[in-house]
Amino acid sequence: MKHDFEPKIVAFVCTWCTYAGADLAGTSRMQYPSNVRVVKFPCTGRIDPVFILKAFQKGADGVLVSGCHPGDCHYMAGNFHARRRFAAFRKLLEFVGVDLSRLQFSWVSAAEGGKWVEVVTELTERVRAMGPMLEFKELEIEECWSGKIDTPELKEAYNNI
Amino acid sequence: MTNTAQQLDTTPLVDTGYYAAVTEAIRAEAARLLTDGTVAAVIGYQAGKRKGTAMPAIITDPARANDLIFSPACVNNLALYLTKAKKDIRKTGKVAIVAKGCDMRALAGLMGESQLKREDVHIIAVACAGVKGSGAATGEPLTTANIAKKCRECTVREPKGADSVAGSLPSLPELSPVEAEELARLEAMTPRERWSFWKEHFSRCVRCLACRSICPFCYCEQCMCDRNRPQAVETSPRPAGNMAWHIVRAMHLSGRCAGCAECERACPMDIPLNLLNRKMAKELKELYGHEAGLEPKEKGPLAEYREDDDQSFIK
Repeated sequence: MKHDFEPKIVAFVCTWCTYAGADLAGTSRMQYPSNVRVVKFPCTGRIDPVFILKAFQKGADGVLVSGCHPGDCHYMAGNFHARRRFAAFRKLLEFVGVDLSRLQFSWVSAAEGGKWVEVVTELTERVRAMGPMLEFKELEIEECWSGKIDTPELKEAYNNI
Repeated sequence: MTNTAQQLDTTPLVDTGYYAAVTEAIRAEAARLLTDGTVAAVIGYQAGKRKGTAMPAIITDPARANDLIFSPACVNNLALYLTKAKKDIRKTGKVAIVAKGCDMRALAGLMGESQLKREDVHIIAVACAGVKGSGAATGEPLTTANIAKKCRECTVREPKGADSVAGSLPSLPELSPVEAEELARLEAMTPRERWSFWKEHFSRCVRCLACRSICPFCYCEQCMCDRNRPQAVETSPRPAGNMAWHIVRAMHLSGRCAGCAECERACPMDIPLNLLNRKMAKELKELYGHEAGLEPKEKGPLAEYREDDDQSFIK
């Protein structure tokens, strides 16, 4: 099917569970949208909120963070720490004014190829319906100061340089 | 929106006798501690170069104890001088510090993060009536119009757990919580409105990093925002980097910020940074029942976990 808008989805996944789960989806020949770009990390505990910001700034329309189910972490507690961190980070992004529908967190184990397909498909379709994420991209291309600083006095001073 | 309190009243909040009493108590305590050798230095406030201002002072000589003052212009959070980043002061030995209630919360936070040991510091607490906000004229007394926003809803005027307390708290009128109202107003906005609110504010940022320099909790020897290989946050004052910097700053302080609002005071561009800090403190209290700075805790809310933490947002 042809779509007008193909969203870019960046998925930050942990190598032990979700990456293996996505691999299982592939070897099982399940179909899922090619919009997703998978970035592999040792653990969800390694995924810094800055990575999510950077992804949005560099053109992602949606971000997925996925790792092992609670209790299954290869490093015992990485995903528990990540869970708290992302719970807080979601609240912060919401307060700054980001639509949280573009940011998905999930637990996908190495055996859940089907769930991976489901999560990725659902996120892709949701972001497709929402359209491109413009906020961060606009910031990225904006060079100038805010209008408030752009006063006639400053303009005159600038012209006199 | 301006960052100064609205015009309400210009009658002094407390009489000058209160400040004289606090100053006297601080001087006596500092002289005693330095003379009997309990501490090697006292970190306090002295009169600034312009009349009616104050600035931080570190004194080691008991003869200089009379330089110390306390006035509504004593806005600085002196806990900043006790982090490991300020090694020279710590090397001198045990130090005494003049601390308002909000500064003591920062001290408790630093102790929890192993920056500071309780036995290495002698806390001279001030029963604080409040300090002046930014934009207040230097000569005028503390009034309901010029009091700092954080002081309008202070819950730690009577400090607890100090080694000595200077002054006794005068009775104060109930003040309207300007900052809580502003936070509620923002929370009621749509995400799009909030985005344009913060975009407008952050676009003024000149990336002087005064908010980082003044913060007692920003003591990392290398800030991740200064690194450029790989660069996580753009360092020049452009819109994208500004937004990222302020988000990262708020994130790194969430669960740690003790609410002294020094970042907002130091900001030359009047960005309401404490709104972000307050929002995160509020959320972490709701999520994990944590309130920063009430007592030294070994682990903050984002450094520990419970197996039954809320995960309703995770699919």
